[in-house]
Amino acid sequence: MTNDVMISLQDVTFTYEGDVVALRNLNLTAHKGEFVVVLGANGAGKSTLCYLLSGIVPHIYGGRRLGVVSVASLDPWDEPLYVTSQRCGVLMQDPEVQLFMPTLKAELAFGPANLGVARDEILKRSQDALALVRLEGLEEHNPRDLSGGQKQRAALAAVLTMNPQVLVLDEPTSQLDPLGRWEVVEAIERLKQKGDLTIVMTTHETEEILRLADQVLVLERGETVLQGAPAEVFAQAERLEGAGVKTPALILVQSRLLEREADRLGEACPEPCPEPPLRAQRGRLRERGKRRERVNLTISEVADQSREAVEAGRLAVHPDTLPQPRPIAPDAPVVLEAHNLTVEYPGPPRVVALRGVNVQIRQGEFVGIVGQNGSGKSTLVKCFVGLLRPQKGEVLFRGESIRKLSIGEIARRVGLVLQNPDYQLFTASCRDEIRFGLRNVGVPPEEIEQQVEEALRLVELSEEAELFPFRLSFGDRRKLAVAATMALDPEVLIMDEPTTAQDHRGRYQLAELARRFHQEKQGTVLMITHDVDLIARYAQRLIVLCEGQVLLDGPTAEVFTQVEELRKSFVVPPVAAQLAAELAPLGVPPQVMTMEELYQVLVPQHDEEAAQTSEVSQTSEVCYDEGEVV
Amino acid sequence: MQPVFRYTHLDTPIHRLHPLVKLAYVLLTLVLVMYPIKAGDMPVLLIWLGFSAVLWAVARIELRRFTTLLKILTGTFIFLILIQGFTYRGGHTPLIVLGHLKLWEADLGVITKEGVWFGLVLCVRILVATSSLPLFVMTTPTSAIMTAMGKLRVPQTATFMFVSALSFTTLIFEMWGSIVEAQKLRAFDIDSMNVVKRAVRAYVPIITPLILLLFRKANDFQIAMETKGFGAPVEPTEIETLTARLADYLWLVFIVSVFVLCTVLKFA
Repeated sequence: MTNDVMISLQDVTFTYEGDVVALRNLNLTAHKGEFVVVLGANGAGKSTLCYLLSGIVPHIYGGRRLGVVSVASLDPWDEPLYVTSQRCGVLMQDPEVQLFMPTLKAELAFGPANLGVARDEILKRSQDALALVRLEGLEEHNPRDLSGGQKQRAALAAVLTMNPQVLVLDEPTSQLDPLGRWEVVEAIERLKQKGDLTIVMTTHETEEILRLADQVLVLERGETVLQGAPAEVFAQAERLEGAGVKTPALILVQSRLLEREADRLGEACPEPCPEPPLRAQRGRLRERGKRRERVNLTISEVADQSREAVEAGRLAVHPDTLPQPRPIAPDAPVVLEAHNLTVEYPGPPRVVALRGVNVQIRQGEFVGIVGQNGSGKSTLVKCFVGLLRPQKGEVLFRGESIRKLSIGEIARRVGLVLQNPDYQLFTASCRDEIRFGLRNVGVPPEEIEQQVEEALRLVELSEEAELFPFRLSFGDRRKLAVAATMALDPEVLIMDEPTTAQDHRGRYQLAELARRFHQEKQGTVLMITHDVDLIARYAQRLIVLCEGQVLLDGPTAEVFTQVEELRKSFVVPPVAAQLAAELAPLGVPPQVMTMEELYQVLVPQHDEEAAQTSEVSQTSEVCYDEGEVV
Repeated sequence: MQPVFRYTHLDTPIHRLHPLVKLAYVLLTLVLVMYPIKAGDMPVLLIWLGFSAVLWAVARIELRRFTTLLKILTGTFIFLILIQGFTYRGGHTPLIVLGHLKLWEADLGVITKEGVWFGLVLCVRILVATSSLPLFVMTTPTSAIMTAMGKLRVPQTATFMFVSALSFTTLIFEMWGSIVEAQKLRAFDIDSMNVVKRAVRAYVPIITPLILLLFRKANDFQIAMETKGFGAPVEPTEIETLTARLADYLWLVFIVSVFVLCTVLKFA
């Protein structure tokens, strides 16, 4: 990192047409080679900041700007986009819309060719970019045939061939599976190591940027709430939570342990502390808690610290405090059944999506389905709702073949909420959107209104009932899609990737709706997700799919302990489960899946009494409000 | 749903053929179908259709794609055969008599053999016309199309509009399939409706989200293109170098020869 200032924003306020203020009094300075991470909930202004830096505003999206913006020594406001694009490249969330040429080679050449760069130079840049994102040998492939991670790396390479000095990455991993994410972050890490690019990246995945960030900016409703070195910013978990940003789990664990240690010392030595060694130790611990020098912690490091604390008697292990997992009723009737399902997509390229899959779902289960993109998750649930007819095998609903049921009959039995709500919304109001399905299945008009109100109330959209659905936020549009499905009163609710492109807060909202359906209506839930922390919190049973086959199927805690098997499908257990596995020799039970469970088991010694009390009053019910334990 | 006209990367003589030769084939096809049509043109049209079928086979294009094309055109074919069957002025051999309604020289109550035949000739003409462009776009990469258009001095914006429209068809097909699925989940099944019902009420729940999504995608598409220097006031660099080989000239001679043969047969 050098002292050359590449990005300078001074008191920048941006207002979209229609008087929506997206950014207020923003200040940011980034030097050559610096990596700036921008965090914030959806609607915080992260994308607007990206647009502002790359010249997309005002040249594509109009608005008014106050303040000074300088990106690689030019003001994007005053220059046409093709000039700004030579200094500042931008990579967006969705790789699909950034790739439009028939071959990767043509895709990479598109940008510099538009600028009249010499052919040999374009070919050289393309080779360099492909090497950096590790896609050599795929030059003649159609980018649309690549995997999600490959597509995003291809889009990144296409930006790099423009030879920018500043690179803006707008949630580049939000639509990818874990492997895709890892591939993209690895490519970004290599770019950072080269050191000649200034990178600004927005994300919700705080864990993945820990080892990259030099500066962190946290936005809330367009304003800066935190800004500074990662250690300073991530030490303020409460303020991050308030801004809808997730504090990385390992930092949270460490901070919680350290703070408790400091508190314990505080009890041993009340202020003013007469004993210098104790005073010094307490000060050191508090200081470490507030301003950690390193934030890129590993599981082993935190496990070592915890082990040390246990051995020193500062922490105690209480395995008995762990709530017993809710048992899966073995005698509950089977609602959905897949018998030897085989599904093939003709292509090109021809793909076998499911290979002889056998699954039984019992009434009242909450089942998580995980696996890589392309492992067959969506194909399986599409078979469950009759959208796909398997070439071989059969799907049964309560013992009856789903082929015998009409689309309407299936909709009243099994509801599927798709990833993208925009594929289904078309009416003038939220109320009409829910009425649509009810009319299709022939609900009497006098009952329709009652069910519409009930569905709107369930997803807390009663006040928006008359609003045009496309005026809702993405999260609320998803809730509306859930309401439209739940209004049909299905016995089984399936959610396909409820966490994709959602912020920390938003990703729990749909999961909470599923939990309420499961608990209040005694419904059966199937949830497809890549978010292992979320699924560990909600699902009783976990199915892992890999290359169209069931790799693992069992109680969630048991499945997450089979690390070697999980590795085959690139699924990593939740952080809490990984820590529990490391601490198993100390007596930490392997079925610890969530941070809350970990805190219940690993108790600072002065909390022991409280733990014993909680042991008595322990219930298996845990209530969550937006992902937090109440 | 897969788009019919998507480029497929294969190594066949047709894929290797110079884009301008393939473009010549498309243009000659269009000239052939533009000739004034008469009932006796069937052999000429079948020769060209057969020739096109050979090119499709050499290019190893799956039969399924041709079947899709046929499916799309089936409605038009039925309409043409019926309308010509009833109204063809030179028709005098009744095939089906429903009644008699004389209008000018035609009897609208009778389907005639000559009328049905002329309807078939029109169908083959449409098939000939519509089978040439897919062959071109399915065997020629977009970058080569752009270079070829450049050689013909077609403005870059016009060329890019053409190729991005091709790229957008892929998206439209994908989105259409996803929307139909999403609406089925709410018991709205367009696939099970008859033609009348579809026309009356079915398309609103499909087309409204499609249009809204397309606007959004078009916006993203514009961002992706313009942030890559599209529209810069400079001469774009040609990446694809198109060189004509002996095989290209031979193919060109062959295509022109078949065209001349068809023209001679038509006017003989």
